[in-house]
Amino acid sequence: MHRQKKKINRFEAANHAQVSTDYGRNDISKQYPTRLNFYLAPPSTEITIEEFELFALDRLQVLKTLETASLRNLRGAELERVMNPVLEQHLPLKSNISQSPTLYEDRRKDHISHYVLRLAYCRSEELRVWFLRQECNLFRYRFEQEGQEEKRRFLTELNLNWKILDQETKDSITPQLEKSLSYSGSKKELLQVRQRVQSETYFEVDFEKVPDLLSRRSVYIHKGKAYVPMAEQVSLVMDEFRLRLSKALEVTSKILPRMEEDDRLRPILLNVEKQYTGKSYGASNNSDGTVQASDVDGLISEHAPLCMRNLHDSLRANKHLRHGGRMQYGLFLKGIGLNIDEAILFWKLAFANLPDDKFQKEYAYNIRHNYGLEGRRLDYTPYSCMKIIQSNQPSSGDSHGCPFKHFSPENLETRLYKDKIDKPQIQEIMTLVNNRHYQLACTRHFEVTHTKVTEKATIIEHPNQYYEMSKAAAEIATTKPDTQVVTESMMDIDQ
Amino acid sequence: MSQDGNSAFLLRAFYNRFFPYKTYFQWLNYDIAPTKNFSHREFSFTLKSDIYVRYNSFMDVEEFRKEIERFQPVKIDIGAVYSVMPKNKKSVAEKAFRPVEKELVFDIDMTDYDEIRTCCSGGDICKKCWQFMTVAIKVIDTSLDEDFGFKHRLWVYSGRRGVHCWVCDDRARKLDNESRKAIVNFLEVIKGGSEQSRKVNLGNSLHPSLARSLEIIKPYFGPLILNSQGVLDTPENWNKVLNTIPDAGVRERLNEMWSTDSLSSGQAKWQDLINVLDKSSDKQIFYVRFSSCLQAIILNYCYPRLDDKVSINIGHLLKSPFCVHPKTQRVCVPIPITTCENFDPFSVPTLSSLINEFDAFSANNGPDDSERKLPDYKKTSLRPYIEFFEKFVQRLLLDAQRAKRGNPKKSLFFKNIYIYMYILS
Repeated sequence: MHRQKKKINRFEAANHAQVSTDYGRNDISKQYPTRLNFYLAPPSTEITIEEFELFALDRLQVLKTLETASLRNLRGAELERVMNPVLEQHLPLKSNISQSPTLYEDRRKDHISHYVLRLAYCRSEELRVWFLRQECNLFRYRFEQEGQEEKRRFLTELNLNWKILDQETKDSITPQLEKSLSYSGSKKELLQVRQRVQSETYFEVDFEKVPDLLSRRSVYIHKGKAYVPMAEQVSLVMDEFRLRLSKALEVTSKILPRMEEDDRLRPILLNVEKQYTGKSYGASNNSDGTVQASDVDGLISEHAPLCMRNLHDSLRANKHLRHGGRMQYGLFLKGIGLNIDEAILFWKLAFANLPDDKFQKEYAYNIRHNYGLEGRRLDYTPYSCMKIIQSNQPSSGDSHGCPFKHFSPENLETRLYKDKIDKPQIQEIMTLVNNRHYQLACTRHFEVTHTKVTEKATIIEHPNQYYEMSKAAAEIATTKPDTQVVTESMMDIDQ
Repeated sequence: MSQDGNSAFLLRAFYNRFFPYKTYFQWLNYDIAPTKNFSHREFSFTLKSDIYVRYNSFMDVEEFRKEIERFQPVKIDIGAVYSVMPKNKKSVAEKAFRPVEKELVFDIDMTDYDEIRTCCSGGDICKKCWQFMTVAIKVIDTSLDEDFGFKHRLWVYSGRRGVHCWVCDDRARKLDNESRKAIVNFLEVIKGGSEQSRKVNLGNSLHPSLARSLEIIKPYFGPLILNSQGVLDTPENWNKVLNTIPDAGVRERLNEMWSTDSLSSGQAKWQDLINVLDKSSDKQIFYVRFSSCLQAIILNYCYPRLDDKVSINIGHLLKSPFCVHPKTQRVCVPIPITTCENFDPFSVPTLSSLINEFDAFSANNGPDDSERKLPDYKKTSLRPYIEFFEKFVQRLLLDAQRAKRGNPKKSLFFKNIYIYMYILS
């Protein structure tokens, strides 16, 4: 097997070659010196349309997994167990130590995908809030995994006007730095403090940047400057990241209209945006007249989530529903397949005590508006759980909102008993509610009321999702085993 | 009636002759020519019969003077600079009317010391308890200077039983509520309601700022707390001190010692306390707690007690300098830091004393005398206070001018557009 010719030692050759000549691409040490990124400047490379879309969807997958994980309050090792495979598959990002050959590609993808998602999620306040939260979570996740040295490099490169304390100044204030670190007073702890102060990198920042530390008097300040150890940096970095991204999103939303002039991008961005709700349950998908006004009672009592059943019951009891309730419930009905004509019929019959002309004058317009037939002709989408929980809090006389959040605990328990749920399971749900995990409570509610479903349900993010899950479960139960039930592929959005 | 009529007459004369309109305007305006700092500033007036009017604002010093002389407010409060002229508040949406800037302010009121002072209570003060204020001023002022780097700090007598501090640096005015709260938390040491006996909780490494404050306080502890307030003189009072010591054995011993020899001086008793703590068991562990125990007592009695609410909210209104306190008739004069030890609240000019001085001056100087051409306040004991105020404002204006010259405008927006256009090409 020996070759006669002298082989070029490729490794040696590579050692001499600069990274910058790697396939003629840009210098990784200049563009992406660490795997952390504040995304301050947009990528300056060319990208294909395919990359534009694929990268975005990959990143979105990561963000959504992160969201679910944080809703389930996963931390530490548990969180890593969930996140690492997803990250490996969709958005790998190794640190410099790994010397992976794909460092540049990984970081480029990370960079580009972030910017594409910015475009997709800057459109409305709700989207921006969601995107900001998930990006901050992702950044924190990565930052905390990073080693000291990498963090230091990153912060130096970032040059956020955080002055790193030079040794001379640090020496001059060491006693004060030591005293600002609280300890119990034992000699041993004093030594530990000394060592910490010596080894730690300190930053000099304006005191306004560290209100928490200032409040607890756990930082040394002098003439308006606070001397912050690296260990406290995470919150500072997070704040800075959040601030910048928040501002950037606002700027982006202002210039978005101009960008959409490029026809290639618009459909991709809309598609990516829709993925956020998983499904948008818009009229175009389901309102094909499969649900009739007379079907509503039955369908609701069997398949609707608690919030919608509550609204339905209130409507039946009072023969009336206030505006907030009409919006929340009306759009939900649109999502399950009630078209405009059936909707008008349904509401007219529901408001039984109202003479027809009054109904036409005061309510018909609004129903048509919801279907995009009046005014701005916006096709309103049914509210997601997030929206119901966070906006438009119900006041006295209202029945809308999320029962897990807006009912008093006693009322909620009573309602759950009515659903014939066992006491221990009610306790589980109430515990989740007390810890403010409203969507998890609803998911659990789904699980205990749909005993035929064996696997753990995906977390409920949208009332219509609950409805569809319930319907699918019912269909599986009534279908013979050898019949093909088309589910997953039907639910996928066209790529 | 005649008393009321008299004071109304005096107030009118005060607003006519003595109120330093021009310097006052320049202060809040932070410039010579009118700016938004003044025109968008809220003033509130308390009129006769307790009528309270908020959201007054004025375009310039002439309008301000005219309105003051018209309304004759019994009390003037200064609020924040708003996004819209406060007088136009009702004509804009609620969300559009927001506070934008305000000086960082502190209010130290003697009633907050009622639980530890033995000479007076409530609205009364005397030369003895005024020392608490002196200590408070020194501690807070030093911290504002050394720790926070604030340069323009105006201390003002509140007219009856306390002092206010107005921090006028640009950086201070731009602080948001969160930072103000953080600053208050940093400064405060005495926390807890009236039911708590041990309110000062120190870690065992005394923060450099607290260590410094303690050094400022120490010289006053003996004369003020032990002697003049006699905090260890009676069982009722000394037990308040003992209750802050965690060791029951120590408390009992000292109580016994002092009960049998109650005539010993405060200083002697204090020394007893130190000795007993020193000798108590577990000295190794207790050693550190022992010194922090002493420190806690000293701080509990001498450390400044701030009124949080005044400092934390940017929109909070505070009594204006140079207005007249309705109950005492004393003018709210500035207190120069360098001489705060000598400040005597009882020799602060009152309305009637000012008028008397003025009349006396006119009587002693004939119509052609050049002295008559002096501004009226210079003919009274208000003079040094106003001159001090003028110097303060001069320094402020100088700083503001310097800042204006070194401030380039940044424009991020267009840079971003350029970048985004590039990504599409």
